[in-house]
Amino acid sequence: MSFLQLDTIKKTYGDVSVIKGVSFAAAKGEFVVFVGPSGCGKSTLLRMIAGLEDVTEGHLYIDGKDVTYEEPAKRELSMVFQSYALYPHMSVFENMAFGLRMAKVPEAEIKTRVTEAARILHLEPLLDRKPRALSGGQRQRVAIGRSIVRHPKIFLFDEPLSNLDAELRTQMRVEIAKLHRDLGTTMVYVTHDQVEAMTLADRIVVLRAGLVEQIGTPTELYDRPANTFVAGFIGSPKMNFIKASVTGVGSGSLTLANPSFVGGTLSVETVSTGRVKAGDTVIVGLRPEHLELNAAQPLLSLTLDFAENLGGATQLYSRSEGDIVAIVVHGRPDVKPGDTLRVGIEGRHIYLFDANGLAL
Amino acid sequence: MRETTVKPNRGYGRWTPFWFLAPAVLTLFVIGIYPTIFALVTSFRQYNIARPREGFPFVGFDNYINVLSDSTFWASLLLTARFYITVLPIQLVLGLIIALLLHKPGLGLLKSLARVVLVVPLATTYAVVGLIGRLIFNREFGVANQFLDVVGIGGIDWLGSQGGAFAAIVIMDVWQWTPFCALILLAGLSMVPGEIEEAARLETRSKLAMLRYVQLPFLLPSLTAILIMRSADVLKLFDMVFVMTRGGPGSATDLVSIYIQRVGFRIFDLGTASAQAILLLILTILISRLYIRVLYREVN
Repeated sequence: MSFLQLDTIKKTYGDVSVIKGVSFAAAKGEFVVFVGPSGCGKSTLLRMIAGLEDVTEGHLYIDGKDVTYEEPAKRELSMVFQSYALYPHMSVFENMAFGLRMAKVPEAEIKTRVTEAARILHLEPLLDRKPRALSGGQRQRVAIGRSIVRHPKIFLFDEPLSNLDAELRTQMRVEIAKLHRDLGTTMVYVTHDQVEAMTLADRIVVLRAGLVEQIGTPTELYDRPANTFVAGFIGSPKMNFIKASVTGVGSGSLTLANPSFVGGTLSVETVSTGRVKAGDTVIVGLRPEHLELNAAQPLLSLTLDFAENLGGATQLYSRSEGDIVAIVVHGRPDVKPGDTLRVGIEGRHIYLFDANGLAL
Repeated sequence: MRETTVKPNRGYGRWTPFWFLAPAVLTLFVIGIYPTIFALVTSFRQYNIARPREGFPFVGFDNYINVLSDSTFWASLLLTARFYITVLPIQLVLGLIIALLLHKPGLGLLKSLARVVLVVPLATTYAVVGLIGRLIFNREFGVANQFLDVVGIGGIDWLGSQGGAFAAIVIMDVWQWTPFCALILLAGLSMVPGEIEEAARLETRSKLAMLRYVQLPFLLPSLTAILIMRSADVLKLFDMVFVMTRGGPGSATDLVSIYIQRVGFRIFDLGTASAQAILLLILTILISRLYIRVLYREVN
């Protein structure tokens, strides 16, 4: 049996349904990331696992035991909050020791565990300080340390890096990844940042409006998104979508028409053509980083609107029939707004979705 | 060329703030500052308005020496202290229980209603509380004795016996001031960040541990405020007790402010009464400073 299992979990507040039936299982030691836009229910789901929110319907199992109605403290989980939630009147040591003291762990054992956690997180010189005398990154470390010392079955993280500045966020992201590698504990991590999701997760659960859109490894979600929502959410900058009409259906290939295509049409190889017929609309997905400028065999002809110089790379925003197509190129191409760009892409990087946004 | 200086705005001048503040300052002066200064000056004079022919000579610290060597004054002060340490723990415990109940999530409408109801005793004039007390604790037809009849205890002469009268004023004070403690503590509880309570819920099941280690530190400023306001209030508690018992029977409810009133307006020895009042003021300030020094801690 899985270590953490959610069985058609639902949550409603009065008439408002927030989680509409989420089922999911994680293996022991797995790093699972819940990702989705604001209001998708990812934090609510995490809080239900923690026991801070009641489950309206469905069941929750941890380590084979039904904990749906178990008190939070008895679930043996620990959680790192977005605001860190440190006890302001306790020193760093006391903050980390509090849970152990409540669990009546012998004082010598507490000292050993806290010292060990402090060593891992480089908090040793700060043990006597109060949280208000710490920087954001240090507070975050203490919050993580407080979680570590209890040797929980599962670590829960609720957007832990969103209050940190960009540089610190990257640094802490790496530290959390290392921590997972060293401790091997199951972790469930909530974020709206797809970069955090991609870099940290063994598996990602993409949520939208209380429902699971797709579950898979970062690579699976990037390479084979189930629909346009996942395709647009995973990857940065987000995937370009161009609407095209189907003019011909061959065996294993489609001919699509859109004025942006060089010559007006584009032939795409695809595994499944069964669902589409001539005259249907399909959505063509192109990742900005896959598009090539001045390709030998250009597929798109676009007009450059605006260019952003990122130093090592340049982001080009071009127009195609009302759609904006972003392109990421290395270096600084010699182009200016109004120029016609002839853009190519390898056939295997073209994503196709039907009119409802589902992958073909 | 004509000068183009901007015309000063006649609506606002350097005296404008003065006129806005003047009514408040004037009122404060008339009802607060002047009487205090008058009391201070009077406390250094022989000032018995029943014997005006003796005049109002300056007597230095004589009044203060008389007060400090007056055993009745000390007895009334001690009784006031006894009253304070009787009512305060009851008010704090009951207030804390009410605050914790109201702090629990859920029951939106009932909670708002409860908060409104809590204000009613606070909005009641002391004298009216005293009148209500006289009705409740009336020996013949009071609710208190009727209630005790049901339980099988009969005919307590509340306001006629020493212990009964003290208990009666304690009960009325608890009735009037428990809601105040509850509201202040509730405000303190709502200062505890939600995520900190949640973090503690993940670490302990014990509600008592939560109160002691997580919520109490946030309640210290509220507790200090309650202690200061309640001690100042008990030291000047007069109307409710006066209406209910007039300090009797005997000296069972002869709190210090009732004694001062008697000295001032029965014996008309305003000099001594003023000295007593000034000593009370100093005592109040000392107690407040003590509370702040010992108890007050800002969490953040």
